[in-house]
Amino acid sequence: MRTDDLIATLSSRLEPVRSGTVARVLLGMLGLGLAASTLVMLLGLGLRPDLGAAMHSFGMWTKLAYTFAIAGFGLWVVERAGRPGAPLGRPLALLALPLLAIALLAGLQMAQPGADARSLVMGHSALVCPFIIVLVAAPALLAAFWGLRRLAPTRLGLAGAGAGLFAGALGAFVYAFYCTEVAAPFIAVWYTLGIALTSLLGGILGRWALRW
Amino acid sequence: MIAQEAQYRTWMLAALMGDDGAYRLLLHALTRNLRSYYARRLDRGAAEDAVQETLIAIHARRATYDPSLPFTAWVYGIARYKLIDEYRRHKRRATVPLDEAPELFAHDAAVEAIAKRDVNKLLAKLPPAKRQLVRDIKLDGVSIADAAARTGMSQTAVKVSVHRAVKSLGDGLAGNEGGRDAD
Repeated sequence: MRTDDLIATLSSRLEPVRSGTVARVLLGMLGLGLAASTLVMLLGLGLRPDLGAAMHSFGMWTKLAYTFAIAGFGLWVVERAGRPGAPLGRPLALLALPLLAIALLAGLQMAQPGADARSLVMGHSALVCPFIIVLVAAPALLAAFWGLRRLAPTRLGLAGAGAGLFAGALGAFVYAFYCTEVAAPFIAVWYTLGIALTSLLGGILGRWALRW
Repeated sequence: MIAQEAQYRTWMLAALMGDDGAYRLLLHALTRNLRSYYARRLDRGAAEDAVQETLIAIHARRATYDPSLPFTAWVYGIARYKLIDEYRRHKRRATVPLDEAPELFAHDAAVEAIAKRDVNKLLAKLPPAKRQLVRDIKLDGVSIADAAARTGMSQTAVKVSVHRAVKSLGDGLAGNEGGRDAD
């Protein structure tokens, strides 16, 4: 086909683009990811039995706020990575905020008189926590890839890592309704590791799964 | 480059609202940028394929353009991605430099500047009256009738005069090229 003919074809019967197309994709990504991760967790693990009481605990809200903030900035990274030529600096820099906050909170709890640093960090599920987070996050990662493929990622590794960041944080958010750990140092280390592993996985898979 | 950004952006925003005329102008203008971009990086056939691939990608993904960001950066992001895609398909381990968006748009301006300088140099060889006629009609798009009225010549005389002037320039150019080849 001649290029001039191609242009004629592309520009004939041009439909206006509905505003907010990207926002709808991101929203779909969030809804789908949250639903899929929740389903996997309910089927595989269930909820913690004392969830009602736990909803009033500081530890529960620490986990929810921390993972929610990272998921939010992760979604912003995905949005930027899904638009060609869009700078990623701001969402990546802002990601430091929740990391700093959890590190500060962890430091405060470790500095309490009589604090047992080892148990604050290791809890009782340290070695399984990051891997369960990756498993719970996996369906959310698929949802994030689904969404990114509807956008136009041109930096695939970065876009995949952003999708993994978003999905990992979403998975950790969902996992928080099962996990009974409450200490900030535990969250700072193992939740963060679970999210980082998902991000790494997303970055590796994204390099080919996001091609278009 | 800045003027180009403003013009392209205006076309793009209109195209997103469904203005097919603006969209056609935009795609034609981008085709020129893309051709020179890919011509310097790919074989002839692959370059035109890449131009078309990129036009299709621009069309299919046009909703991802954020009007608060530069349009040229958006296009360049896609063009560069398609270039990497092309290298990957041919299993060529090539590194694509992390050049900035101006790379895609700078070349045209440079070529235009050189062409303009050459045209001016050529025109300088004509007698002043003829030079003005050629400039008016061939470069500035003045109609034969207007030029005739302005100079007091008949329309036929204007046509003949311009035709001869252009022909003599062409002969001069051919002679020049021959001389250069002999060097």
